[in-house]
Amino acid sequence: MTTSPVASDDPATRAIVARTLALQRRQSIMRIVLGAGFPLALFILWEVLARTGLIDQRFFPAPSRIIATTLDTLGNATDRRQLSAGLLVTLARLTVGFVLGAGIGILAGILMGLYMPIRFALGPMVYATFPTPKIAIFPLLIVMFGIGDASKMALVALGVFFMTCMSTLSGVLYANPIYADVAQAFRIPTWTRWTRVIIPSALPAIVTGLKLGLGQALILVVSAEFVSSQNGLGHFIWNSWQVLDIPRMFMGLVVVGIIGGCAVLAGDTLERRLIPWARH
Amino acid sequence: MQAAASSTALRLAEVRKMFLTRNGQVVNALAGVSLEVGRSEVVAVLGPSGCGKSTLLRVLAGLDDAYNGTINSDRAAGADARTTERLQSATVFQTDSTLPWMTVEQNLRVGLAGLSIDRATQKERIDRYLGLVGLADFRNAYPHELSGGMRQRVAIARALASEPLLLLMDEPLAALDAQTRLVMQQELLAIWAVTRSTVVYVTHDIAEALALADRVVVMSARPGRIKSVHDVPFPRDRDVIEMRRHPAFRELEVALWKSVAEEVGSSLGAPAKPAASTIGVRIDDIARSV
Repeated sequence: MTTSPVASDDPATRAIVARTLALQRRQSIMRIVLGAGFPLALFILWEVLARTGLIDQRFFPAPSRIIATTLDTLGNATDRRQLSAGLLVTLARLTVGFVLGAGIGILAGILMGLYMPIRFALGPMVYATFPTPKIAIFPLLIVMFGIGDASKMALVALGVFFMTCMSTLSGVLYANPIYADVAQAFRIPTWTRWTRVIIPSALPAIVTGLKLGLGQALILVVSAEFVSSQNGLGHFIWNSWQVLDIPRMFMGLVVVGIIGGCAVLAGDTLERRLIPWARH
Repeated sequence: MQAAASSTALRLAEVRKMFLTRNGQVVNALAGVSLEVGRSEVVAVLGPSGCGKSTLLRVLAGLDDAYNGTINSDRAAGADARTTERLQSATVFQTDSTLPWMTVEQNLRVGLAGLSIDRATQKERIDRYLGLVGLADFRNAYPHELSGGMRQRVAIARALASEPLLLLMDEPLAALDAQTRLVMQQELLAIWAVTRSTVVYVTHDIAEALALADRVVVMSARPGRIKSVHDVPFPRDRDVIEMRRHPAFRELEVALWKSVAEEVGSSLGAPAKPAASTIGVRIDDIARSV
């Protein structure tokens, strides 16, 4: 951090700098080549296997055919509308459920971490219900919230709640105790203590919980749409499978994959923004 | 009583503290510590590792309420007019206590959050004390971008900026290199001359205790109690390097070494031997290694 300008006119220094830069460049080239090249190689293998008939084209159509179908669908106004409508419906369920679950989960986690009676009261219940597969409670949620969007949002919220709550709780409990000591020793007022000490100290764990919750949310929303829905991406995929429109099914999978990728990217960005001190 | 309260900043009477180990055994950490610290007095607490120095400081800082005995301090005496601009007490911890999500400047500012001083005063204090610890150029740096010694100086500046009536320091300079430590000692003397803080200063460095304190308290090995109290016969505007020439300094230093070394010996389970002159080096080594 202590910035000392590099004496670039010194040939020995310049040589070291050049060598370091070359090493960095080689590494980043290798990362791109391997990171993109390996999946590409798998696609090529898949393409070859499909074309030679070694795998069943009816269930594993060649990537080239999936791309062709995708382009076809995106060119067709009705299909395009169907896909984008499904995407929007799913994203809405995902977002509402995620925000709800994360908000309640983080708050509950902090309160449980800070106040022993709350931890003792809620802890056993949270830990006992956590291992239940959330999708198994879905029928119950339908009874409570109806077959519409609300039950699916509730399912997503439930899954996200557990991830964020437990992660936040451990973040508060296992934060370096010196931070609480500082807050106490300097008589830092309650509000400042929360916003400037307690929450930041748990932030790495909170962000981890959010990232885990995002993955969980995606699983749950698609699963719920498989089981009970007339729209959404899950329905799009399941319906394509049922009418044996396999390339269309793969298209749905690709879209879900893209959402997942964006979610991971958003999570990493959030992490870098919120906890710059952990990046080193 | 009122007259006594005005000259005594801190009075501990028979303070006892125990810990329970996981298998239910009682460990005595403090076995009846009684001490009076005058207003604006600097008291250094010396003692072997594990003698309860840090425990004592945590109790004084209000971080541990589960003790027996009484502590009367300015804090307990209630707020007077100055309390809104100065903290009743502030602590410099032994380990890194900077908050990693805040810049150096924010670390100092959060320490002032409990005071009712306006933003201009805050800024003035932050500037002044960052300058005093030599970190004026690093106000926007995050702690992870600083060295361990620099982080400790941030913690020191944070405590000083709150201009506490009672300043508690737990081996604050232990993480610093020897040269910086001497400079910081001189700085602390200069700062205290201005702030008139009452200071309880825990250290295991005998020369440092002599350099800074008006009185040096030696604690016994666990369970900690006060073994002896030594007056330091130097004026407050002392030179931390020059004073080492003084015969009285060396006299006291040797006396303190012996006193502490006895306790180290007993905490290691060895019977304390009468110190012969040739043992001096060996005692040094023992004391340094703890």
